[in-house]
Amino acid sequence: MPQALEGSQAIAQAVALCRPEVVAAYPITPQTHIVENIAKLVADGKLNCEMVSVESEFSAASVVLGAVAAGSRAYTASASQGILLMAEVLYNIAGLRIPAVMTCANRAVAAPLSIWNDQQDSMAVRDAGWIQLYCADNQEAVDTTIQAFRIAERCELPVMVCMDGFTLTHTLEPLEVPSQEQVDGFLPPFSFARTLDPRSPISVGTLVDPNYYSEARHSHHHALLRAQEEIIAAADDWGQLSGRHYGGLLQVDGPEDARLGILTLGSVLGTLADAREEYPEAPAAKLIKLRSFRPFPVEALQQACAGLSDLIVLERALSPGGGGIVGAEVRAALSELPDAPRVHNFAVGLGGRDVPLDIYPRLLAAAQSSGPTRFAIFDAELDRLPEGDR
Amino acid sequence: MSTVSETTIPIAELRRSQLRFRGLEAGHRACQGCGQALAARLVTEAAGPDVMIANATGCLEIFTTPWPQSAWRLPWMHSLFENTGALASGMEAALKAQGKSTKVLAFGGDGGTFDIGFQALSGMLERGHNVLYVCYDNEAYMNTGIQRSSSTPHAAVTTTSPSGKARMGKRHLKKDIISIIAAHHIPYAATASAAYPSDIRKKVRRALAIEGPTFLLIHSPCPLGWGHDGSQTVEVARLAVQCGLFPLIELERGELTSVMPLRSARPVKDYLKPQQRFRHLFQDDTRAAQELEHLQALADHNIEVYGLRGTNADPLDSDGADTVRRGGMRWA
Amino acid sequence: MTIYTRGGFALPGTSVEFKTGSWRLQRPLHWHRDAPCHTACPAGEDAQAYLARFAEGRLQEAWETIAGANPLPAITGRVCDHPCESGCNRGMYDDPIAIHNVERFLGDMALSEGWAYPVTAPARGAVRVAVVGAGPGGLSAAYHLFRRGYRVTLLDALPEAGGTLRTALPAYRLPRDILEREIERLLAIGITFLPQHMLGRDVSLEELRADHEAVFLAPGRQQSREWSVQGSVPRDLHTGIEVLQDWISMGSVPQVSSAAIVGGGNTAVDLARILRRAGAEAHVITHNALPGPDAQPDDMMAALPREVAQAMEEGVVFHEHRGIRRLILRGEKVVGVEMVRMKKLRRPDGTLDRVGFEGTETVLHVDQVIPAIGQDVAPDGMEGPLGRKPFFETDAWGRVAGHDGIFAGGDARFHSRGTVSGAVGDGRRAAEAIDRLLRGLALPEEGTAEAIAFEKINLHYYEHAPRAREPVLPVEQRTGCQEIERGLNSEQVAAEAARCFSCGTCFACDNCWTLCPDEAVLKTKELASDGSHYVFDYDYCKGCGLCVHECPCGFIAMEDEI
Repeated sequence: MPQALEGSQAIAQAVALCRPEVVAAYPITPQTHIVENIAKLVADGKLNCEMVSVESEFSAASVVLGAVAAGSRAYTASASQGILLMAEVLYNIAGLRIPAVMTCANRAVAAPLSIWNDQQDSMAVRDAGWIQLYCADNQEAVDTTIQAFRIAERCELPVMVCMDGFTLTHTLEPLEVPSQEQVDGFLPPFSFARTLDPRSPISVGTLVDPNYYSEARHSHHHALLRAQEEIIAAADDWGQLSGRHYGGLLQVDGPEDARLGILTLGSVLGTLADAREEYPEAPAAKLIKLRSFRPFPVEALQQACAGLSDLIVLERALSPGGGGIVGAEVRAALSELPDAPRVHNFAVGLGGRDVPLDIYPRLLAAAQSSGPTRFAIFDAELDRLPEGDR
Repeated sequence: MSTVSETTIPIAELRRSQLRFRGLEAGHRACQGCGQALAARLVTEAAGPDVMIANATGCLEIFTTPWPQSAWRLPWMHSLFENTGALASGMEAALKAQGKSTKVLAFGGDGGTFDIGFQALSGMLERGHNVLYVCYDNEAYMNTGIQRSSSTPHAAVTTTSPSGKARMGKRHLKKDIISIIAAHHIPYAATASAAYPSDIRKKVRRALAIEGPTFLLIHSPCPLGWGHDGSQTVEVARLAVQCGLFPLIELERGELTSVMPLRSARPVKDYLKPQQRFRHLFQDDTRAAQELEHLQALADHNIEVYGLRGTNADPLDSDGADTVRRGGMRWA
Repeated sequence: MTIYTRGGFALPGTSVEFKTGSWRLQRPLHWHRDAPCHTACPAGEDAQAYLARFAEGRLQEAWETIAGANPLPAITGRVCDHPCESGCNRGMYDDPIAIHNVERFLGDMALSEGWAYPVTAPARGAVRVAVVGAGPGGLSAAYHLFRRGYRVTLLDALPEAGGTLRTALPAYRLPRDILEREIERLLAIGITFLPQHMLGRDVSLEELRADHEAVFLAPGRQQSREWSVQGSVPRDLHTGIEVLQDWISMGSVPQVSSAAIVGGGNTAVDLARILRRAGAEAHVITHNALPGPDAQPDDMMAALPREVAQAMEEGVVFHEHRGIRRLILRGEKVVGVEMVRMKKLRRPDGTLDRVGFEGTETVLHVDQVIPAIGQDVAPDGMEGPLGRKPFFETDAWGRVAGHDGIFAGGDARFHSRGTVSGAVGDGRRAAEAIDRLLRGLALPEEGTAEAIAFEKINLHYYEHAPRAREPVLPVEQRTGCQEIERGLNSEQVAAEAARCFSCGTCFACDNCWTLCPDEAVLKTKELASDGSHYVFDYDYCKGCGLCVHECPCGFIAMEDEI
């Protein structure tokens, strides 16, 4: 029975269905509605958990770390500056192989100050060692949040569920909220082998010398690579249970024989899907939704792109002085293919700029008319800049 | 004649069968005569087995846990330098949610407590987590090689507050952390010293008996950073108390409820003299003389403000608190 | 090959695999050192040890610890000058432990409880040793020889054993029943006592030697020294020791109204006190200084300071640093003495000389002068070993040079301390020397037992506590033989034992165990090999020396390792 819910409210309900014992939160736009809704569920007695309203995102992540280490399922959410303030802890959580789950309500990073959506924040911590799953819509965000706990706990890795700020978090949509029975059937009670326990007191967070640091990093890296199987399994199992499936690592949509493809993450996917219907005359193109950015699904991507002549990589972040972040990785992955498609890398919708439907034909046109674009901010209007800064 | 004392019991077995709880095991890599190692040993002994520890980055963390070894016999976790208060909050929240009675201890040095971890600590106190936070105060960043912290005493030399033609060591005062902590209106905040083990034990147990956030600041000499012989660690710590520079006090809900009286206040010079970090104060120099007077005035100020001067000999004062007894176990 | 753990966790207590002991340059060792009370005791008692047993509540063991050195603690606990207390390190902190009171308490308790001496009877046919003189030196030698398995024959010229304890110590210092009971008990262990056997009269030294493998001579000093002032001697001269012995044995005192007693020893003081009891005015004239904080040790009168103090309370007048220059006679009768200020001064050759200062003469009106300047050994039957000297020349073991198997001690020995405890010590040492001689063993090296210094005590760990004050008989009641010092009660004695610093001996205070930052001190339930309750785990001890500095009693020392 679909309900009309704001994205944040839906996420709060999804989190509650996972029965976390500790939720830590520090407010930051556009994450606030999520934790406010959780706080309300706690206040109403609908969720029995320790709600720790901390004094910074740094502490929010730290509380989650401590809580999971002490044997509780724990959750937090943040965005933007908050993610950056958490950065040190995020690395720490991942290195310690702590199965925590958080939502990143994606937002641009200052300066200049912007409270609106792009994905610069989660991209900035892509090397922290977390699993990062990007959601295209609120239903997917709800379902992915539930899956995230199972993935995290089975892999002993933290999972960051990324959903675009405002675009998703503040949008009212009809969606299905799973039942408690469904979730309980999917997600077993929390159990963590390395729980701190006076009866078998281990020491966590040791100093590892150069003799073993490389092995530590190898093990972490490969844990993420192996997590691909659990991400797929979680998507499949949940799909069977709920009837909703969003792909495992990525999802390809469009004609089999299309020579053009557009790869993107997050809510832009919905815009492109709508645009494809809006512009039936446009050349046939596959839409590739990259769901798992970390681990980066090289094989799945190569499979999805086989046969393409041109691939547009659309992203909502950049590495200044480098270019596209996702684009660079896609390019590297596809370079192993014998007939690698040309890759056109664009950033769009930075700092909350609207991504209109007509961007779809314009992108395709751009890909067909010229040689590959190494990287450009597609919707930047350069004449607004002084001459020297263009 | 000196002798090697031996028993018929194999030493490893003897170690296993010691008649006191052991939270911190031998084989840790603290320097010789480390005051922090001593204090942490005493705290964990008093706290007993049903605790878990959140430990800030610092000497204590480094010297106890060079993987794959750990000196801890308690569940212990180190995360970062500045998040110990929050880490402990998380542990406590989890234990509370699970309905467990295990107590959470948070350990940090003065750098991790007075400076970088202060915010997380303040948050922990404000939210009322049931955590005993213990700060091992050795008055500088020792783990990184003796740099000045906000706990470093006035005029002490560190590598970032050297003395020279233009300076006499640290220009600023030691941060009055205990007042700041007490201002959180927490049920219990106290200071202790590595030189007074029975006092530490008493205060740890008192703190752990309280539901809510509690705080213990333990003066823990660092032979390397303070420049004294490792054999003098307890002596130096004791002199700090006895001269009034490190008063041992208890504050409940911000109110001063008890002090360890000084039977007779020692001159601060007695405390400063054995330490290299104050050596420059003993040169023939008017600035040195002035700084010595300044430190004496700070001690006198403490004595006055906290009412440290004892009227009669008190068995628990700065001279009596560790009177030994035949047969020991005075800590019990 | 270690397997990397997920997230890099470590198992509890695994640090024990890392042996920090290899960092060490010096290691701590337990180092039992003698307490100053022990090294100071002429009898060889280890007061620290018996105070410890007392504090542990093991009273009989405490007494046995004393009895291992001195069989007469009820007596010495009363009459000893207790150098142990002068040596006591606690004296430099507040007050010395009242050791003699503990000794006296235990001695009395042994009497009332009938605790057996720690001895076993010698085998039938065991070697015989003779002891001449049943004073404290002879009794001690007889006891220690008996303990070592010898059959002992003890001779004394008098009908009863005790020597000077009986003849020269007034009952107000040593009650008769204590004396009787302790000596009787001691003799009863199996010593063959032959009273009224005088050497040279009833038996010769040669005869003794024929029946015994060794002889210990402790005859005391029975022959008063000659005394005159520039050749003049009063008509009815009595020596101090004669007067004292007469009073002690018969209760008789010369009929005088005022007397000048010459000398500064216990005999002079006791004599003065009994004259006071008889209502006379008593003056003690001594070349030396009165005991007191300013007196030089080699210039102090020999009498026990507390006896001097009590004598003063009783009205005895002391004239320190005085000598008699002239007797003022009317005919042969004394009517006064002329005193002069005197001091012992060093001659250019370094020896001491008594110098009188002209112009300091004063006159003291007395009707009697009694010299109490000491006695010499009566040579009867011992002319050989004495060799025409007024005392025996011996080594520290009591051996008389040139006379194998002959040993001497007590007051009769040159350099005798002239104290009961000194005599007891002489007897003990001679017994050991005799034992070694008869077993063909060499004597141990003369160890210069150095006591642990006050500086080695960590005073922080001790609380100030005043010494118990012993009640004394009020001056107005000191008219007869009633004992003046009343002893301490059991609580007071226990408090004194608890005040002991335990210098140089572990008393299991737990400080090392409590303060080791490295968990390298382990506590043992049973006693460790050195009698302490702790062992060092050298696998982990880093050699910081903290335990050494914080050991209250100086029981731990650092030792260099290669």
